[in-house]
Amino acid sequence: MAVPSGHPGGSGGPRRRGRFTARLYHRIFISPSVLVLLVLAAYPLVFIASAALTRSSLGNPFQEFVGAANFQTAVSSPAIRDSLALGTGYAFGVAVASTALGTVTAVALWRSLHAGAFVRTVLLLPMIVPPVVVGILFGFIFSPSGGLLHTLIRRFTPGSGTFAVLSDTTWAIFGVALADVWEWTPLVVLLVFTALLGQQPEIIEAAQLDGASGYQMFRHITLPAVAGTIIAAFMIRLILAFKVFDLVYVMTSGGPGSSTQVPAFLIWRSALQNFDVGIAATITLLLAIVVTVVTIPVFLITKRLRDD
Amino acid sequence: MTQKNHSQTRTRGVAVTAGTSILALTLAACSGASGAVEGDAFAGDHEGQELNILINASHEGAGDWLAEGFEEETGVVVNVTTVPYDEIASQLTLDQQSGANVYDVSAPWYVSLGDLAADGSIQPITEFVEEHPDIDVDDFIPTIWEPYAYVDEEIYGLPFDGDIHALFYNTEILERNGFDAPPATWDEYAEQVATITENESDDGVYGAAVFGEQSPLILGASFANRLAGYGGEFLDEDGNPAINSPEAVASLEALEDIWDDALPTPAETDFGAGNSAWFAGNVAFIENWTDLGVRSQDPDSGSEVIDDWGVTYLPRANAEDDPRASLVAGFSWVVAGNTDNADLAQQFIEWAASTEVNSELLTALPPTGIDPNRISSLEDETYGEEFPELQEVNASTLHGALAWPTGQNATEAAQILTDELAAYLSGQRSSAQETLDTVQAEWERLLVD
Repeated sequence: MAVPSGHPGGSGGPRRRGRFTARLYHRIFISPSVLVLLVLAAYPLVFIASAALTRSSLGNPFQEFVGAANFQTAVSSPAIRDSLALGTGYAFGVAVASTALGTVTAVALWRSLHAGAFVRTVLLLPMIVPPVVVGILFGFIFSPSGGLLHTLIRRFTPGSGTFAVLSDTTWAIFGVALADVWEWTPLVVLLVFTALLGQQPEIIEAAQLDGASGYQMFRHITLPAVAGTIIAAFMIRLILAFKVFDLVYVMTSGGPGSSTQVPAFLIWRSALQNFDVGIAATITLLLAIVVTVVTIPVFLITKRLRDD
Repeated sequence: MTQKNHSQTRTRGVAVTAGTSILALTLAACSGASGAVEGDAFAGDHEGQELNILINASHEGAGDWLAEGFEEETGVVVNVTTVPYDEIASQLTLDQQSGANVYDVSAPWYVSLGDLAADGSIQPITEFVEEHPDIDVDDFIPTIWEPYAYVDEEIYGLPFDGDIHALFYNTEILERNGFDAPPATWDEYAEQVATITENESDDGVYGAAVFGEQSPLILGASFANRLAGYGGEFLDEDGNPAINSPEAVASLEALEDIWDDALPTPAETDFGAGNSAWFAGNVAFIENWTDLGVRSQDPDSGSEVIDDWGVTYLPRANAEDDPRASLVAGFSWVVAGNTDNADLAQQFIEWAASTEVNSELLTALPPTGIDPNRISSLEDETYGEEFPELQEVNASTLHGALAWPTGQNATEAAQILTDELAAYLSGQRSSAQETLDTVQAEWERLLVD
């Protein structure tokens, strides 16, 4: 007869059991995803962090805990600081160029849909060419011994000497960047072109009925509609450019001097050439910090544009 | 299936095993007493087994030759994997560290032995070498033996490819430009290169192909050639870095002297680009491994300079100085740290580093890319008859050759030097002395305990 205080209602027990069962099922169902996340994200992160805090060689990792010694070495190393700065500048430059070029190309394609699938497919070809092949191809183009650029320069300006893009400390990084832009701009084209196709035709028709000019249509209707996608494409491109390795490896081996030693190349060299996995892991973490700091504003802009 | 049968007849198996062991011990004792011929000792012992070796891609011809020869000799199938020269050490380390243990034997650059040993990727063979007098370590070229074999007091490798550079010259180009003889000094070399480039570069012919790509085995080798010629050392007699010596500074400046007159452009000239220009007859000089001579005479290598070339010692500071070799890119046979086939691997490297094999590889066609590692193979009659000039040049390894630093961190030290050289030659450093002072400081950190 008496109901124990603190346990209102006799039906509370089954309801709690029901909630418990639901939570249990929920956890069981999401556990594969959590497991995948742990394996794919947490384990590498823990490995890299552990390597960065220890003296680790390629064949014998985690030899001795060294605390922040690797970070001190990395931060005080001009080569690593320069590499992170170079990587950041390169990533921004390449991302801006790819995004601008990709957007213009996408709009041109959208305006001339009758150009057909063939042209669109051809424009996407660079993206499906392996980066190593792109590097070799541009290596040939820039070769000072009979390369395309050299041949053209000699043809039109005889006696002008040799212009070796990839041997020049100033121009080598631009040579790599050009190959990078050529390779990945089609990705931006694809994303922006898809966004352009997804515009609501009613809005465009309404603007046309109101007498909007071509420029006005683009400025006030099309651009706002695809701005979120353009920024997202920029962010994807930025992250891809931060990770560039294969083009540098094939085209310049990081040289001449240190003029194309981007972070990914330095990480590869530290780990696989110098056997110093501790420093390689430290540079990786520093690069992750730089990429995070740089991409957060871009991410926020993307979110704001999408919300608008 | 074999395991099942074995368990079913365990008693009988034990008896057979014991009998076989006694027979094997008896045979071993007999063979030891009679000093059996090498091939006979191998025969039948390992029939049908496999051995996996990892070598430099430019030694692919040698790998095929060795695989065929060893299988013929022992019945062992040798699987050869080739990778670029600068990836052997990392491939071997990753293989061993990951537990895959695919490779039993490898032939890395001798400079990487210290790092490989420190990581346990290769195993010491001191005991094996000491127990096998047939290896005849005294016959290895003395200046090669120590750096190619030792890490501290332990033997880890047996020399495979001696690998010194010599100066090859195109006789036709020299004649066209009025030079009767190749240069004896680095100054004369720079002068001849400048003259030829000035006279013929419009026709696509240059004074020299200078290996300048940013790799220790490429740009580092070009610097080491000059360091040897100027009488410098990487380390002093106490083993401390001496890379900012006046000789080293002069070497770097000598390299800079011909930078602008070389085949465009040295910073992009790797083995492929340099050798192609040489075989096409587009360069007058190339500093290269002595096996280039064998390939220059081989029409199947695409050579257009057959009988139009000569070879001489690397230039020196002064014409009267003795020629001095630079051990720029030698390779050593090693046994992988975790191999299950250690016995077979040791027998293979003993055979592959033998006089007979090295002598055969020197003149084999297609060319194998191998240089002498032993005094006896250097003095081999066939080698002397077919390539007397190469034999003479290689004899410079007999006395005081310059070797890279070895031991732990030596690979990184070589890379740091190469990076700084490239930085100086591309105009990113203000002086040769400052450049090498930077290297000296880094080397003291890495190489001095």
